[in-house]
Parts: sequence; structure tokens; C-alpha cells
Amino acid sequence: MDPHLIEQIAVAAGMGLIGAIVFAGIGLVSGTDETTTLAPLTLLTVLLGVPPAGVFTFFLAGAVAKHMTHAIPTALLGIPGDTMAMPLLQDANLLRKLGVPHIALRKMVSGGIIAAFIAVPLAILFAVMLAPFGALITETAPWIFLAAAILIAYFSAGRWASVALLVPFVVVILALQSLTAKYDVKLSISYFLGIAIGPLIADLFTVLSPIGRRNMGREKVRQFNLAPDVKGWSGYFPNPFKVLDRSQTRWTLSTAAVSSATFVFSPVAMTVVLGEVVGSRIKHAYHRLTTVLSARNGVTEATYIAEALIPLIAFGLPLSPVAAGPAAPLFNAPPRFTVDAANGQTHNLHNLLNHWEFLGYGMLAVLLAAIVSYPFAMNFARRAALFVSRKVSHEAIIATFVGLIIVISVWEGQLLGLLVILTMGLMGGLLSRIFSFNTGVQFMGYYTAVLSVPAIVKLL
Amino acid sequence: MTSKHQDPPSTPYAEVWGDTVDLRHLAWAICIGIGISVLGYYCASQWLISVVESRQLAHAYAMLAGLAGCIIAGVICAKAFPPKRSVTETEISIDPQWREEVLQELSLQSGGMGSVSDLPPVVAQELKELKLYELFADAERAEHAVAPSR
Repeated sequence: MDPHLIEQIAVAAGMGLIGAIVFAGIGLVSGTDETTTLAPLTLLTVLLGVPPAGVFTFFLAGAVAKHMTHAIPTALLGIPGDTMAMPLLQDANLLRKLGVPHIALRKMVSGGIIAAFIAVPLAILFAVMLAPFGALITETAPWIFLAAAILIAYFSAGRWASVALLVPFVVVILALQSLTAKYDVKLSISYFLGIAIGPLIADLFTVLSPIGRRNMGREKVRQFNLAPDVKGWSGYFPNPFKVLDRSQTRWTLSTAAVSSATFVFSPVAMTVVLGEVVGSRIKHAYHRLTTVLSARNGVTEATYIAEALIPLIAFGLPLSPVAAGPAAPLFNAPPRFTVDAANGQTHNLHNLLNHWEFLGYGMLAVLLAAIVSYPFAMNFARRAALFVSRKVSHEAIIATFVGLIIVISVWEGQLLGLLVILTMGLMGGLLSRIFSFNTGVQFMGYYTAVLSVPAIVKLL
Repeated sequence: MTSKHQDPPSTPYAEVWGDTVDLRHLAWAICIGIGISVLGYYCASQWLISVVESRQLAHAYAMLAGLAGCIIAGVICAKAFPPKRSVTETEISIDPQWREEVLQELSLQSGGMGSVSDLPPVVAQELKELKLYELFADAERAEHAVAPSR
């Protein structure tokens, strides 16, 4: 074998392992969403000069590992691990009240791992099928982003309000861009980090006001209950095909395959819809609960992978909410990776890795995440949940994230970066709270401002 | 109601970003978070510019130092401020009221409770191991007993 290739694989394996371990840990802490954690750390690997294979494996292993451990707070404590876990919460809570939260967790995690393994090759296959249209897509990129933004806005919970809100939202981004341009500063990560952390910034502003504080005030601390655990297998590495029964495996595989083909819809929406489809086919209530949970977590995983991989491999343009948010540094991390607004030209992982490399490193990433995160989530979930809920205060988590947004924004644009992140965060957080103008739509709004608006202005 | 408007809240707890915090602790935690991470970032960038040849790389390492500062701040805050959660470890499945609630909710779902005779043998076995089989079977019998009288 070519020594260069061996070196590349070794780097990819090392970076993937780091990603899997770090994000398996981060997933335990509820409320840490992918954009605020995966995006900055992936950006860091890009800027530190890690080879493309290493960057890609780091990102994907991190994402898959995090999705497995974020099921732990969701199932055991009834707190959503992040927004992607929201649609799973209700069914998980019912099993928790029946006293079997560990069953909910095992079904979810096993569904997720099976889905991840089939989602990577299928997403790459769909990307290869779409690739012939790549030239057309890149030429008409500004219009496609506009159409995608409107489509994604309409399918968000805010419906027409979200579509209409795109206009003022884009205007504010354009205004901020022209402000920073006056000082020769061009920002990108500050915008989408601001969008992602928006709910926290909006909450912090609200709690400063006496009226807001009255609404958010609580008499007591929150109550959680953790049921005793029962281990259902021997050894360290359980077999996911034994944790799920045959019909659960079948449903997980088929729904994951379907969702691997979709990349513009939000993972949350896909999860809800396909979960309903599965639920309507299962007769007994208990079996329905466990089957829907495994299929839903599989769909979340598969949609997420497809949303990151299909646009990256087929077009090199961040044409989905995941690609525009958590996976953004794979597309755009100046000066190393760039997307040219004017002509849709790209220089990023799309150009640096071929289809076979995407497949090989993608499978390597899922394998590493499975080795690290799956047995951890299955064996130590209860202890991990107990540790996090008893030792890690919410104040500490907020302190870490406030520090993170300030470091990244100051790093990117000094004081201007900080002002942009605060403005975007406050506006995005409030719009999301009041109108359900969710972060996925906001990411697309950002790209509309960057890519579509120059093309529209040219027409006028 | 009026007394509520006049009196400041008796407890300093508030729900921020999905969990309960003590507002005084939160204020301190934010100061610590900003202080350590920004200090780490600036010190590292000053030092790295003189050590690392490439400016771009120095800039990226400074961000790493800043992020390390965030983690350190998080650890300090975790030690200084205890969580505002109460975690109990009782077996709630013993609580018949919870179970009753769940069964009611399940029977109201579209598709209803279903029959244990519809279950594949593996799933029936799983329910027996979890000691939930009888619960569902009883609920089903109760449902059938009610149905004809309607």
C-alpha cells in the first residue's frame, strides 16, 4: 500500500478517535447542541492544518458519538439531550414512568448505531446520483439557497410566519455585514454561533429584566428520578441486533434508508413523521413505544448524516440546515476552505476528497464512534447520568458556553465579532421563542444573505 | 396576587436555558467564564505570536487556549456552585399511580392498547422479564370488561 495513504488513514483514525471520545463526553451534558460544540471544534481542526481526511473523520465520529450519549439524559432523566432528541422525549417518558428507562435507552441507542452504519453508504450513493447536477446547482446556487430557505422555513413550526420573518432577519444580517465591512472585518462563524446559542442569550437578557425574572422564577429546585438499572447481556459489547427484535430492526433499517435520501427537511420533522408511520403499524402499545423509539432515533441519526454528507459530496455547498450549521466548517473555514459567493465556486472537502475516500473515512468514523460510544452508553449510562446530574451544575455549563461564544467571536472579529454574536443571538433566540423561527431556518437565512442577496441585487 | 407584585421573589432560583439556576451563582459563574477564557485567549495570543512562526497558526492555537480556558472555568464553577437539582433513586414503577397514568395515556393513543396476544413471542418474553406482562394483560382485561357495558 502507498505509504501516503497509510499515513492518511492513521491520521483519520487518530482524529476520529479523539472526536468520538470528546463528543461522547459532551453528549452527556444536556443542552449542548451540535452547532455550539461540533462547529467550533471542527473549525479548530481545520485551522490547525489537520489533513482533510482527519477533519472529516473527526466531524462525523464526533456527531455519531454525541448522538448516542445524548440519549442518556433523554431516556434516564427526561431532559432532552438536545433539540434533536425532542421528538423522542414523550415515548421515553412513558417508558420511564413504567419504570424501565433503561429499555428506552437501549432501544434508542441500538436503533441509532444500526442507522448510522447504513446511512453513510446510502447518503454517499444518493450524493453520487445527484453529483451530475452539481454544475447546474453551483451555477444557480443563489436561487437554490433562496428556494431552500423558503421551503425549510415553511416546513418549520412557524410556517408562514417563518417565511415572512426571513425578510427582516436577512436585512439585519446585511446591516451587520455592512457595519463590519466598514472596518474591513468579514465574519462568518460569529453569525451561526450566535444563531445556535441564541436561546441562551435571549434567556440571559430576559432574566436581567424584573418582569422576565418574575416569569422565570422558581420556588424549588428541579426534581429528577433515576430508576435502578438492569443489565440484560454479558460482556462489554452488546449486540444491537439482539437488543432490538426482528421487526424493530426491520423498521429501523427501512426508515433510516428512507431518511438517508432526504437532506433539505429538518431532522426533527423527519423523525416525527416517520415515527408516526411506524407507530400506526404496531398493534400493542408497549411494542409500539419501543419500536417507535428505536426507529425514531435511527431516523434522527440517518437524516443528520445525510444532511451533512449529501450536500458536501454532491455540490460542496451547504444546502441543508445541518450543513449550514454544525457542519459549516467542512464547507467554509477561511482561509483554508472557501465558498465563493459570486459564482458558487468552492474549495473545501468537496474538492479535496473523492467519493471512495468519503465512503472509507465515513465508515471508519461510524465504526470508531460505535466502538467508543455504544458500549459506554449501554454499560455506564446510569452512572454517567448520576455523575452529571449531581456534580455538573447548570451554572457551570452556562459559564463554559458564555466563555466559548466570547472567545470565538473575539477570535474572529475582536469587539465587532462580540457585537455581532450578541445581536444575532438575542434576535435569533427571541424569534425562535416567539414565532418558532427555529435555528435551522436561521442558518439558511444567513446563507440567503450571503449568497442569494448579491444575485438579487445584481438583477435590480 | 398584589403581594406577589410587591414582594421580590423569596427564592433566587430561576429557570434559564432549560434548567434551574441560582441567579447569584449564575452571575458569578458568568464572570468567571468570561474572565478565565478571555484571559487565556489574550495571554496565549501574546505569547504565541512571539513563539510560533506562522501568524495564522498562532491565531488558531490562541483559540485553543481560549477554549481550554472555558473548560477550566466550567470545572471551577462546577466545584464552586452545586447543581440545583434533586435526584432521587426510587423505583417509580412501584408507584401504582404512575403506572395507571401511563396505561391511560397509552389506551388513548391512536391504535389503543392492543392485545398481548398480538405480541411476537420475543416481545412477550421481554415484557415478562421486565415484570410488566401482567400489568398490560390486566389492563387489557379491564378494557374489555368496560367495553360491553358502554
